[in-house]
Order: sequence, then structure tokens, then C-alpha cells
Amino acid sequence: MRDYIVLYVNGQKREIHGDAAFLSISDYVRHDLGLMGTKVVCAEGDCGSCTVLLGRARNGFIEYRSVCSCIQFVFQADGCHVVTVEGLGNSDNLNGVQSALVEHQGTQCGFCTPGIVMSIQALLETDSVLSEQRLRQGLVGNLCRCTGYDPIVRAGMAVNGRRVTRMNELFNSSAMAEELASTAQQSVRVEAAGKTFFKPAEIDEAVGFRGANPDCVIVSGGTDFGVQVNKGSREIKTVLSTAALAELRDLSVDDVEMVAGANLTIAELENAAAETLPEYAKLLARFGSPQIKNSATLGGNIANASPIGDTMPTLFVLNAQVELVGSKGGRHVNINDFYTGYKKTVATADELIRRIVIPRLKSGELLRLFKVSKRSDLDISTFSAAIWLKLSGAVIDDARIAYGGVAPVILRLHRVEEYLRGRRISVETFARAGEIAASEVTPISDVRSSATYRGKLAGNILSKLYYELDAERKHASIA
Amino acid sequence: MPSVGKDIPNESSAGHVSGRSVFLDDVSPARNESLVDFVGSPVAHGRIVSVDLSAAARIPGVVALLTHEDIPGHNRFGSTLKDEHLLADETVEYVGDPVVLIVAETRAAIDAAKKSIRLEIEELAPILSIDDAIAANSFIGTRLMIERGDSSSALAQSEHRLEGALVTGGQEHFYFESHTAIAEPGEYGRMTIHSSTQHPTETQQVAAEVLGVAFNHVVVICKRMGGAFGGKETQAAAPAAMAALAAVKTGRPCRIVLSKDDDMRCTGKRHPFQSRWSVGFDSTGKITAMSIDLYANAGCACDVSPAILERAMLHSDNAYYIPDFRVTGRLCRTNLPSNTAFRGFGGPQGVVNIENIIEEIALHLGKDALDVRQTNCYGIDERDITPYGQRVDNNTLPALFAQLRQASGYDWRQMEIAKFNAESPTHVRGLSMTAVKFGISFTKKALNQANALVNLYTDGSVMISTGGTEMGQGLNTRLRQIVADELGVVFENVIVAATSTDKNNNTSPTAASTGTDLNGAAAVDACRKLRERLAEFAAPLLCDAKAGLAPSAEHVRFADGVVCDSRQPSRQMSFGELVAKAYEERINLGERGFYATQGIEYNRNTGKGTPFLYFTNAVAASEVEIDRFTGELKVRRVDALMDAGQRINPGIDRGQLSGGFMQGLGWVTTEELKYSTRGELLSHSPTTYKIPNIGDLPEVFNLEFMESSGNTVNLLRSKALGEPPLLLAISVWTAAKQAVACVNPASAKKLTVPATGETLLLAMEERQEQAQPASAG
Repeated sequence: MRDYIVLYVNGQKREIHGDAAFLSISDYVRHDLGLMGTKVVCAEGDCGSCTVLLGRARNGFIEYRSVCSCIQFVFQADGCHVVTVEGLGNSDNLNGVQSALVEHQGTQCGFCTPGIVMSIQALLETDSVLSEQRLRQGLVGNLCRCTGYDPIVRAGMAVNGRRVTRMNELFNSSAMAEELASTAQQSVRVEAAGKTFFKPAEIDEAVGFRGANPDCVIVSGGTDFGVQVNKGSREIKTVLSTAALAELRDLSVDDVEMVAGANLTIAELENAAAETLPEYAKLLARFGSPQIKNSATLGGNIANASPIGDTMPTLFVLNAQVELVGSKGGRHVNINDFYTGYKKTVATADELIRRIVIPRLKSGELLRLFKVSKRSDLDISTFSAAIWLKLSGAVIDDARIAYGGVAPVILRLHRVEEYLRGRRISVETFARAGEIAASEVTPISDVRSSATYRGKLAGNILSKLYYELDAERKHASIA
Repeated sequence: MPSVGKDIPNESSAGHVSGRSVFLDDVSPARNESLVDFVGSPVAHGRIVSVDLSAAARIPGVVALLTHEDIPGHNRFGSTLKDEHLLADETVEYVGDPVVLIVAETRAAIDAAKKSIRLEIEELAPILSIDDAIAANSFIGTRLMIERGDSSSALAQSEHRLEGALVTGGQEHFYFESHTAIAEPGEYGRMTIHSSTQHPTETQQVAAEVLGVAFNHVVVICKRMGGAFGGKETQAAAPAAMAALAAVKTGRPCRIVLSKDDDMRCTGKRHPFQSRWSVGFDSTGKITAMSIDLYANAGCACDVSPAILERAMLHSDNAYYIPDFRVTGRLCRTNLPSNTAFRGFGGPQGVVNIENIIEEIALHLGKDALDVRQTNCYGIDERDITPYGQRVDNNTLPALFAQLRQASGYDWRQMEIAKFNAESPTHVRGLSMTAVKFGISFTKKALNQANALVNLYTDGSVMISTGGTEMGQGLNTRLRQIVADELGVVFENVIVAATSTDKNNNTSPTAASTGTDLNGAAAVDACRKLRERLAEFAAPLLCDAKAGLAPSAEHVRFADGVVCDSRQPSRQMSFGELVAKAYEERINLGERGFYATQGIEYNRNTGKGTPFLYFTNAVAASEVEIDRFTGELKVRRVDALMDAGQRINPGIDRGQLSGGFMQGLGWVTTEELKYSTRGELLSHSPTTYKIPNIGDLPEVFNLEFMESSGNTVNLLRSKALGEPPLLLAISVWTAAKQAVACVNPASAKKLTVPATGETLLLAMEERQEQAQPASAG
């Protein structure tokens, strides 16, 4: 078994032994490699200044995605190609993204700029022509305090994507892709300074390790773990990585359901849902930033068990099944039965989430999702709601409603559901349903919002739903 | 070709986009360098009983642990009053107030030491809010006042009269580069400090006083900052002094870099304000009298709060003439980090107050608020004297209002909005246009001076240095443009050196939007002296005696890197050739320029004078849409029109306009500082403190500048524009207020800043709660 980390940085191979494997990628490139272009501001993945591209071998080439290097560890980049701003061009030889930012005054103090450059470059890895909407979505994870974004948008729109060299071309990646593909699948175990990193290639090894190390942290995308380590609320001790487990990357869709491996990133899930469950894809568009979505995984979001996890209310109302795998074999648990309390689940010490089975909507069923946060984009939900209705004309045959942010766990509103069953869609029905909802929740006040506001949202969202349905109905009848 | 007026990209941008620009923490550590951090108070107010460092001292890698007892000089500093301590001695005044400095070789050692230091503190009752401070009579300084006429009798005689209050929240600067300094101990007690500071001179003075050495023993250097926005005007001094103290005590170079969380928790912010106001007006909406009492939450120390309060008062009229006027101001001392300068410097708090009052007048009379604004706007040659006695010269405000009213389609859009609001069950919209008339000059007269050094090298290249600091605003780019034109050389031929107190002494902070005005004018002064000297020297070399011409310095022209006699332009030499020749003839090729703003004078005691050299004016119209079920606000369209005089760099100016506007947008919408009841800042990182992101960019964002050349009193007829655009975002807030007023006029009156989604929803829905008997009074 390999006992060190292998990765490439800006086209150069690096073998990393010992304690350095446990550094954040940003600390590693800045302090060990002297690549100072990558800036760290918030150290919690919420500003994008530390954005780098992380390339993973896929089908003979390397797929480059933006990530926040401050909350990703070196061990997570095993078998990857890290590209920092220094990899793109230097001040005498700027690439197309960089020169557009210069020409359009897209930079003032310059501290956020390398991250902005990397995020636009990441967009161009998949789209050679950027719409303004796509550009704005792609920059959701990059805060800038100086420019007010307008000059950055102008610069981004001025980039001629066809003339910007893609990373696979710039680094002539085919040999690297081949090497990284095999590197990424190898088992790795690094031990240093009282820390252990284990990345098994087989699920049995993972389950065995988990059973033997009940206190280990299972790291998938690690976007929450990285924050906890940086902010001192958690220490790195024993880390079990699921990154090399191919079974956790399943993705299949049929007429009835979508089966999504626990290690699918939120970005991949969003893509997959675009056709099969568009409402879900629309919500996921507001899940964090591209950088976070490129790292964070569905399984991680579920296992993390936060009552404000954005993926979950939907899964609750769709009766998604969580497939667990453990030393005693596998089992399916309805996600509604998965959580037992704040950040607690039914998974036993030796179980891992393998995949999620998400039922698709049948004819007559509709799904509406809401997220309310202080800032529209890149913000943790103050309140979220998933509403599933089965309709016969204007009559509600069945209803399932799940709220996030109003209780220690995602909350199913059984009384509201009961009330709605058999009633006709009307403004009064939903107003009354809102009153019941407001009385069914027990929100708290915290830094994001008061309990009063959350309580009002719990009620209002049902009236909002009514008007949305009403507008759609009118629109449909006109069409 | 002149450089001034051209859209030259920010001179550092190629380095920024390629990651090659060096910020302070990008500098490789020197041999032996140590890291510095501190342990701060866990409580907002308390008396230190004991400090136990014994366990921390034993941690490997810890080099030194320092308390106030280790300070060789003074532990008291402050830019107005000496009421701040570097390290707490008897009492702690806010959560995070530094008590112990940790100097260590690694971050891990610092983290371990932080956990091992035992502070025993007797907790005292904290004062956190303005209301608490008023109740406890906890103030800094005396009440300030500006008064014209007799507002109380004029109010009593007014046809209509309204009263109200306005609460505005603070704002975190959220500069990306947190406070950073590297101190290098030198020989004979001297010290070099690299600091991310807007005010190298104050940083130098504070460090020298803490170290107990003369000012000339400390050199402070600032190459660039990763943003500042006022937050590094006075408050960069303490971290720099900490690094310097650690360097003196350990003999090692020392580096301090605050984490974003600590920076947000422990440093000052924009001042929260409360205003209590009365206004009198006639049925046309014309204001006859106004009385305003402002209270500012200054935090635990004075800092520059009196000047901030004063600027709020001086901007309480904004663009509007008010015959009988009275504004008072008080600073509340509370147990929060000392609040400090932030882009706008009190101006936004003064302006949002009167713009709010105008909305109230319009609501009361059922009039369009823009009509009320135009009715009250300062006139040209009449109704043009401010309450403090300064004439509003070169007044472009009426033209700005009229032009943007037309260009933004204000009137037809108001009609459409009224229709939309009547029909939509789900959303409500508002459209509002507000103005800004921002006074340019430091209100502290002494600060309105600058010196500049211009060096010519024998190849004709030029190096300039000033006391101005670069924080992204484009000062260095503009200085290069200005100097290039003055010397008739190309932009690339001029370089700006890092700001350093050994090159430029007794400098003013780069603040109050005056960076270019002051430092640019000083550089021009130096260039003109050099040019005169070179013209004298060049005159005989350039004129052809055979053609019957006598040498004439007056006719020597400097342009495009070439020098010639205008009477015989074909006979020319390059600028470099001339400089090289001048060197051979022992001509002085360096010059120091100086500038002091003329004609400004303000008496704080009488509240009268001419504090400003000129006003920068602008207007903006913003349209918002609010979700009636969630309170979520969306900015649909913004049109801004600015009079920035003759622009030195249109691209940079535009960036100041968009950047300032968006920063103001954050202040009035999503940026909310939340504290626990014990005075701990809860929103201390971007996860919980929400500055605007790209999704908050208005769907339509039209930014225009007005042609204007009347500002003859300032450098190149330009106008400063660093701060004014921030105040334009007040139009977003007044638009939101109009929208709320459509749903619930009574609660719109009490709308606060920032208007978060929560604030807006609760305001719109307040009616239901008032179903219970309304409380009397």
C-alpha cells in the first residue's frame, strides 16, 4: 500500500510524505511550494479567493473543476492535478481570461483576483462561449469587495473562450491522465504526527476500517470538515476517505428512480437532475458555490445530518432510500427514518452510505422547493421547504411537506399533510395550511434569523406556493 | 498623447491576475522570523484579576509571551484622544481586547499557547447599544451642534410637521487582506515595519510611542493593501505596534496576520447610528425647518469618531436647502471594539437620515418623493448656503436630478410600478431616486496637506513617491498618469515607489477620498519645479542661434518623451538625453513637492465655516422588488449619474462607482452585524456576514458620468470619487421603504438599515400583530 500522496501541481509531479499530507492545499502550495498567488481570506470556503482547479482523470483526459483550496486537504488531492493561478500565465504572458480582466478594470485591490481568474477558467473548461447568466452562476463563489462585480462581468463577457487554452491542452495531459487514473485508484495509508489517512480501494476495507476506528472521520468532499479544522473546532486524527471507492460513484436513471452514489458531487447531482428532476436541479443551483458543489457530495450532505442541508427536504418528500453498507451487509432506510436527532442518524459505527435511491415524479405529482436565505446566493438557508403534491385536477389527493431550518432535524409536517389531503386547491386552503404549519414548527433564533421570521416563513411559503401554482395554471390555460 | 483622461488599466493588474502581485503575507519569512498573535478578553467588560502564562511558556516553539508590563514606551494611544491601550492593563473593554501577545515559531505553538493562557477577569456589566449608553450617560466628548436660524420656532410655525427616528446598523469593512504587519528590528533601537496601512505616519508614531523611541527610529512601509475602505486608517497601527513590540523583545523579525474571524471580531466597524428627527414643511413639500439629534455608537474608544460624527452632521442636509436647521451629535461609549473610519465616514448615516425624512414627507403629502427632492434641492445662486455657512458652488445637483429623471424613465416607471403593486398578490416594487453631495477635504484642517518626491534618473525614467497608499482604488495609476503628463513622458516611464515614511514624512492618511487630490497636487508641484529647472537648462541647447532665436525656457515643451523649443519643434531631444546632459552639468534632478488645500476652515465649536474645497455630486435611481411572502429583495434596475469633474481615468472611476455602490448596497440590505447579549460578535465570517455577491448585482446597472468642467479649484478640474458612490445605494433602501409603504405605511416609518429580508417581511406583516390593542405612545 502506498504511504504517501501523489499529485501534480501545475504540471509537475509531487510526492508528499508525512505531515504535509494533512495540510490544506492552499497552505501546501503557498508555504511548501511558494506559489503565493492562491490567497486565503476566510479559510471556510465562503469567499473563493483560494480557488484552484482540481483535475481528476476521467476517460482518458482530465476533468478540471474549481475548488476552494483552503478547505481541501492535500490527502484529498491524491491522484489529482492541482492548477493554481501561476499555472495559467505570468504577468508578461497573460492568458485570455487574465488579459480581459486587465483591460476591463476587473481588478482593484487584487486579493480576490486569482480566485476570479480560476473560476472563469473553470467555466471555460466546459463552455467555450459564456452567457452572462452562466458567467454569473460560475462566479457565485467568488466574493469581491472592491469592484462591485460589474467590471468582472464585463471582463468575463469579453473573454474569447475559443482562444483560451484549455488545461488538457496546456499541460498536454494525456500521459498525466493515464498515470493519475491509476494513482487515484490505489489504496493509500499515510501516518504522521499522530494522524492517519486511509483511502481504501475496496468497500470492504473501508467498512473494516470504520468498524475498527469508530471515531474516524469519513471524508468524502470534506467541505464541512475542512471548515471545522480551520476554525479549530476539530482536529485531524483519523481520516477515512471514500474517494477511491468506485461503487460510491454510481449514477443510473430509469423511469421510476434515480440512483445516485454517495460520492457524486452536488454539481454532478445537479447535472443529473436537470432532466429527471428539474425542480431539484433548480434548487441545487442555489446550493453553495461551484467550488463547494464540485467538492461536496450527496452522501456527505446526508451523513452530515444538518437540519439546514439543502439536499434533504426534497429527499424526504420523495421518500428517498438511503442505502447503507456495513460489516453485516447492506440495507435500505427511508430517509424519513434516517435521522434520530440533531446531527444523529440510525447508521451504526461500521456503516457507510453507499447510494441514494431517489424516486422520480409520476404523472399527477408535483414538487416545489423553496430556499430562503439572507443573501440569495451562496448563503446557508434560513429556511427551506419541499412540497410534494399528488393532484387529481384541482383536488389534492396526497401531500408530503418537509421543512429545513425549523427544528433540530428536517421536519415533516404531518398535520399540514393530513389537512391538505382531499381538499381543493384554493387560496383559503393554503392560507389555512400555512397557519397549521406555523403552529407545527418550533424554530429557534440564531445568527441567521429570528424564530419569528422562520415561523412566518413556515406559514407564508404555502401561500406563496398557491400563487405559484395559480400562475402556472393561468399560464397553462393561456398556452 | 496625454495619459490623463485615458482608460489605462490599474497599473498592478497584470500582477494581480497572474498571482504575482506581492501582498504582505506573500513575502517569504526571514530567517528566525516569528509569528505574533494575541489572546483577547473573553468578556465585553471586566477587570483583570490575574494572567497566568506559566503553562503557555513551557510550550515548545513559544518564543515570548508579552503583556502590557513588557511595553517599553506608552501603552496609550489614539488618533484623537489617547484612550486606547495596546495591551489591556487594568480593564478589558470589549470581547477580543488584546491582553497577551504570543510570539512563537509556528502556528501550532500559537494555537497551543492560546489554549494554555489563563485569564482571570472580574466581569463588569457591559454597555453595548446606543440606548444602553444614553441610559448610563456613557459618552465620549461633548455634544456637537450645527445650527442655522431657529429651528424650534420654525418647526412650531410649520404648516406640516413630522417626527421620527431612524436606526442604522454598523458595517464590517471586509477588506480581503486582514490586518498584517512584519516588523524587522534594526540597529540602535531602530525598526522597519511593513504594514498594510492607509496611514503609514500614524502607524509609525504609534509604534514609536509603544517602543519608547523617537519617530525617526521607525520606518513604516506600505507597498499595497488588499483592500482597506477606512478600516486600515487608524486601526492598522495596533497590529503593527504589536509586531514591533514582539520584534524588540525577541530580537527577531515578527509577523502578525489576523485571521478573518479575529479581524472581524476585534476591530472596529462603521458606526451604528440613531437619529431622532423633526421636520416642518409646507403643502408643496418644501422643507421649512428641521431638527436632528444623532447618536453614534463609537465603541470603547474615541478613535476618529468625532470627525465621523461631524461628517454625519455636515451631511445631514445632503442635497437639500433647509432654512432653519439644527443638528446635534453625541458619541456613545460602549463595550465594542472602537468603531472607526469606513468609506463615507459618517456621510452615509447623515444622508440616509434626510433621504428617509424626505420619503416621510412624500408619504405624508401623497406626493412623489422625487418631486419633494427637486423642490428642496440646493439652488444655483439662491438657496445655496449650507447650514454651516459654505456656499454650494458649481452646483450640478439640479441638472443631475433632471437628467437622470429623464434618462431613467422615472415617471413612466413609477406609473407601471403603481399598476404592478395594485395587481400583484405576490410581489411589491418600489422606485426611488436619491442624491449625494459629498464634501471633499478632511474636516481636520491639518490633514489637508501632502508632500511628494519625484526623482529623475539619467536614462529619463522617473520614480515618484508620496504619502498616498494603494489599496486598489487606483491611486498609483493616476499618479503615474499625472506625473507622466507633467513631465511630458509616457505612462510606462513613470513608476510609483512603495509608500514609506523615510521618503515622505508627516503624511496624511489615504482617506476622505482625497488621495489623488492631495498627493497628485504635491506631485504636480514637484514636477513643475523640475520642469522649470530643466527648461532653463534645455533652452540654449534647443534653440538654434543661427535661426535668430534667443534661448527661451518659456518656449521649451515637454511631450511624448521629447523636449523641444516650440518655435522650432523639429530640433528636439529625448527626455532621457536631456536628463543625462543635465546630470553632467550638475543640475538637481530630484524634487520634493508640497500641497496644502487653500480656503478651507471649519470651527467645530461654532459649527460654521467652509470645511470643504468642493462637493462631489451624484444621483441614483433604484428599483426593487420584494417577495411578499418571504421579504426577499431583488434590485431590478439601477441608474446612476455622477459628476466627477474632468476624469483622470474613466475606467478606474467607473470601478469606484460600481464598487462603492455595491458596498453601499450591502450596508442597506444584507450586511447585518449580530451580537450576543454579552457583546460577542456572532457574524464574524462570510458564512454568516453577507457582503453582496455577484447574484446581488442589479439586473440592469446603468452607470453614467456627467460632463462637467467647472471644478476649477481642484487638480486638473477632477473630483474625488472614492466615497460618494457608496451613498448612492441609499436609493435601494428608500425604494424598499416605498415598497413596504405600499403594504404597510405605518411600519414603513420604522424601517431600519439594513433592510434584510427578515426586516422587510416583519415590517410588511406587522399589521397582524397590531390586531391586539396598540400600545399608547
